[in-house]
Amino acid sequence: MSEPLLEVSNLTLDYNLGGRKMRALDRINFTLEKGEVLGVAGESGCGKSTLGLAILRLLPRVAEIRRGAVFFKGTDLLKLSEEQMELEIRGQEITMIFQNPQNALNPVFKIETQMTDILRVQDRNQNPGSRKRHQHYRKQAIERLKLTGIADPEARVSNYPFEFSGGMKQRVMIGMALSSGTSLLLADEATTALDVTIEAQINKLIIDLAAEYGISVLYVTHNLGVLAEMADKIMIMYAGRIFEMGEKEMLFGSPRHPYSAALLESLPSRQKKGRRLLSIPGFVPPLDRLPKGCSFHPRCVFAEDICRKQVPPLTEVASGHWSACLLDQKRGRQKWQWT
Amino acid sequence: MAVDLIQIQNLKTYFFQGKGVLSKWFGQGLKVVHAVDDVSLTIKKGSTFGLVGESGCGKSTLGLSVFRLVEPTEGKILFHGNDVVKMNSAELRTFRQNAQLIFQDQFGCLNPRMTVGQIIAEPLMLRDGKQARQEDIADEVAELLSAVNLDPDAAVKFPNEFSGGQARRIGVSRAIALKPEFIMADEPTSGLDISTAATVLNLMQDLQDQMDITYLWVSHNLNQVKYMADDMAVMYLGKVVEMGQTKEVFHQRAHPYTRALISAVPQVDTDQQKETIFLEGEIPSPINPPSGCYFRTRCPHVFERCKQEEPPLTDLGGDHFCACHLHSHH
Repeated sequence: MSEPLLEVSNLTLDYNLGGRKMRALDRINFTLEKGEVLGVAGESGCGKSTLGLAILRLLPRVAEIRRGAVFFKGTDLLKLSEEQMELEIRGQEITMIFQNPQNALNPVFKIETQMTDILRVQDRNQNPGSRKRHQHYRKQAIERLKLTGIADPEARVSNYPFEFSGGMKQRVMIGMALSSGTSLLLADEATTALDVTIEAQINKLIIDLAAEYGISVLYVTHNLGVLAEMADKIMIMYAGRIFEMGEKEMLFGSPRHPYSAALLESLPSRQKKGRRLLSIPGFVPPLDRLPKGCSFHPRCVFAEDICRKQVPPLTEVASGHWSACLLDQKRGRQKWQWT
Repeated sequence: MAVDLIQIQNLKTYFFQGKGVLSKWFGQGLKVVHAVDDVSLTIKKGSTFGLVGESGCGKSTLGLSVFRLVEPTEGKILFHGNDVVKMNSAELRTFRQNAQLIFQDQFGCLNPRMTVGQIIAEPLMLRDGKQARQEDIADEVAELLSAVNLDPDAAVKFPNEFSGGQARRIGVSRAIALKPEFIMADEPTSGLDISTAATVLNLMQDLQDQMDITYLWVSHNLNQVKYMADDMAVMYLGKVVEMGQTKEVFHQRAHPYTRALISAVPQVDTDQQKETIFLEGEIPSPINPPSGCYFRTRCPHVFERCKQEEPPLTDLGGDHFCACHLHSHH
């Protein structure tokens, strides 16, 4: 068996805010194979964005990694020096696209300048001492724009960001993100700010490019529908923990965790007009005041005594299907009927 | 038989660019943005009318024009048969008591320096004028807060002490304070998490049942419109391209744009056979719309006639309208 591209093991991370300690990631374990698309979903504050930032070690200073390792191609990224991360990993092997392309591009520089800068850095990191002309990188930039489906790239490369629409800017970001050596793409709500028809275009672009170059994708979003169309595997997070993980068909078809079942029940697309949507009682607990036991128990209508005492471990409930619920054994194949 | 609450007839809202002094000096011509271009639609009392389309299609401008928060350029807006466009300021005041808005930005529409109690009391004070009595209003505020499932203690807190979903419900309670007949909701669940959005949708349906409220539901979330709306219209570049009962529109998808829009919506249930139609390019500029059919630059079925003639909105039967040459019979 070949080793996975990315293996996150037991990753635990705290935010220290003025004496308050918030556990943003708690014993995160998963693997990502080459060419696989893993979708990460959950409500605000569940830690899904922190996970992406932790892999790239782009965390704010208040964050502290307590335990765990992030093995990328067999190397623990958490053990690399800052310089190695910068030279070998960030923007080279692992790249990231963010939610708001508007903020990710500098408004006072042309697309050409911003793209050639990155290409030059990438080139010099890979081949130290390389002294190529600007024209060389400019040509590469045009090729990248063409690859991401921007019409008339020769002319557009000299435009400023404000001359591009939101969807086009996200295309530029993708073009910048994909260097020749990229093997992992982290996408954090990459299409949330876009219209549906543009969102469909961009997601297709990500999937097509990933398939063509054998790139693995960690796709973070709160939109379960997008994941249903893009991802191979899905991970559902809640309050810093993985609650359920598995193949898309299994997870959406027969969710094993009551929280995943509830999320699916609260989508208008699954409900007939006039029937009430499920609204999960209560709210997501603040991370410094997590309830004892299972962090979901105060909102879970199925909770029993044991849920208030024990923290449910993430266990493999079927082949390739993981769930963190203490009642799973007892429940067997019975569905979580919230309503 | 349902009564027509709002009839919009041939509404046009244009924005003019280049009216300023600088443009005159530098000789730039007047540019006209056709934000809403000849839209007619009818909203029945007690129903929900969904308005969908991509950013820049004019759906929010249409909504704002109904309240005259943006002055329409031409056309009629009949509310109970009275033309809102012709109302004087006193009549407009009465109309606006009867018609309320819920805005997209749940925090932006709440003054951060006022307590929630003051925010909700404001329309009540304006209604009562000099006869306003503190105790009565406080009681009413408490009632309104419990109507949206918030604790009456919330009245003494400030907006920043609430979560996104709660702030949205405060906006809803202010909107229902004067017991309006009509509410326009502009992207009422944007920025909310899945389960919080579900709570807001349930609440708004309950209020509709209790108070017989009519909603104009502006959203780009088609799943939500399908779930909430009785009737709907699809807008593209300021024009209605398809309109009818929601289930008919979703079932027939007569216009190629509607078809593409619906197919692009990500669905959780992947077992349904679904083929996404990918539209080429993006929405053209409303300053320089294409000739003929506005959608022809992105339409997969484009043919010669689409360049020359603008397709009229034609009745396909059963109050289902579509503006596309594929459906005209000559």
